[in-house]
Amino acid sequence: MPAPTPAKILRLHFSEHDRYRGKPLYEAVVEKCRELHIAGATVYRGLEGYGETAEMHRSHLLTHDLPIVVSIVDTAENVARLLPAVEEMMDKGLIAMSDVEMIRIQRSKPKP
Amino acid sequence: MLKKGPAKKVTIYVNEDTQYHLESLYEAILQFLMHKGVAGATASRAMAGFGAHHVLHTPKIEVLAEHLPIRVEFVETVEKVDELLPSLYDMVTDGLIEVQDTIVFKIANKEKRPEPKQPHEEKRDQAKLMRIYMGEADRWNGEPLHDAIVKKLRMMDIAGATVYRGILGYGAKGHTHKEHFMHRSPDCPIMIAVVDAPEKILAARDAVTEMIEDGLIVTSDVDIIRLIHSHPLTEAGDASTHAS
Repeated sequence: MPAPTPAKILRLHFSEHDRYRGKPLYEAVVEKCRELHIAGATVYRGLEGYGETAEMHRSHLLTHDLPIVVSIVDTAENVARLLPAVEEMMDKGLIAMSDVEMIRIQRSKPKP
Repeated sequence: MLKKGPAKKVTIYVNEDTQYHLESLYEAILQFLMHKGVAGATASRAMAGFGAHHVLHTPKIEVLAEHLPIRVEFVETVEKVDELLPSLYDMVTDGLIEVQDTIVFKIANKEKRPEPKQPHEEKRDQAKLMRIYMGEADRWNGEPLHDAIVKKLRMMDIAGATVYRGILGYGAKGHTHKEHFMHRSPDCPIMIAVVDAPEKILAARDAVTEMIEDGLIVTSDVDIIRLIHSHPLTEAGDASTHAS
């Protein structure tokens, strides 16, 4: 069984509305992660929430401005490499980082 | 009180027509067990058999049909069985008592009432948080992997698990899981978050590692702040208003 190794988890909280160079910020962040060869990234959409501007993010019939969380798990060096790039992309929002123990499981052959 | 874990199973073999104080022995045993608060006991009549007397008891021969073997079984905690055995030893004048170690794996009671709830309480504890990442299309023996993991965690008595579906992501497999505008992608990223005591999380981690083909498991230390809100305990004054 693979032994757990120390790693970092990075969570970015922002809004679905936020854009970066014409595309949704969460898509831009995931593309940036791929570009920097970060092991993986997952985007979640919350049901409801509020942030520093204290305005409610919730789903309306016409507007769709829900809270977004992007979580990224990788080694401390890779996360440190990603952090300035992401910081530059986000206008407002929150970045949280914590220590984790990681087990990476890869039994099937990766696709070319 | 019988709980999950090691216990004893007692099997008593008697004849249907063996008497104990003018009633049949197996009925006397069942009544005795019920009186002693044993969780449950079953008496079953055998098809045929033979015992110490080396007479084959079978329903085919009319004379012996009243003389069939009866098996009484029950499962109880080790202490309870120790308490009961001397009396059973005394009661079974003709027959056999067998005791074996067993494991209670599940004990479910549908009609059980919820335990009386405590007033609002706050508990702080050191715990571990485990996050398991996989794809929605991943399977385990034909069923969705996330379902199988949650079932497994439930069987391991883990306090709780929550499954999240992401809208976009990539990871171990290298391909992007993305939600489309008009229809839901069949392979969105899935994350299961689990919080429990450190040793239980480590056991769960080993079990889950075996089930996943491609994925990621991360664990971290967390502080649990558990708020238990519940209905206030029924007071005496309350009860009297209900009575009137």
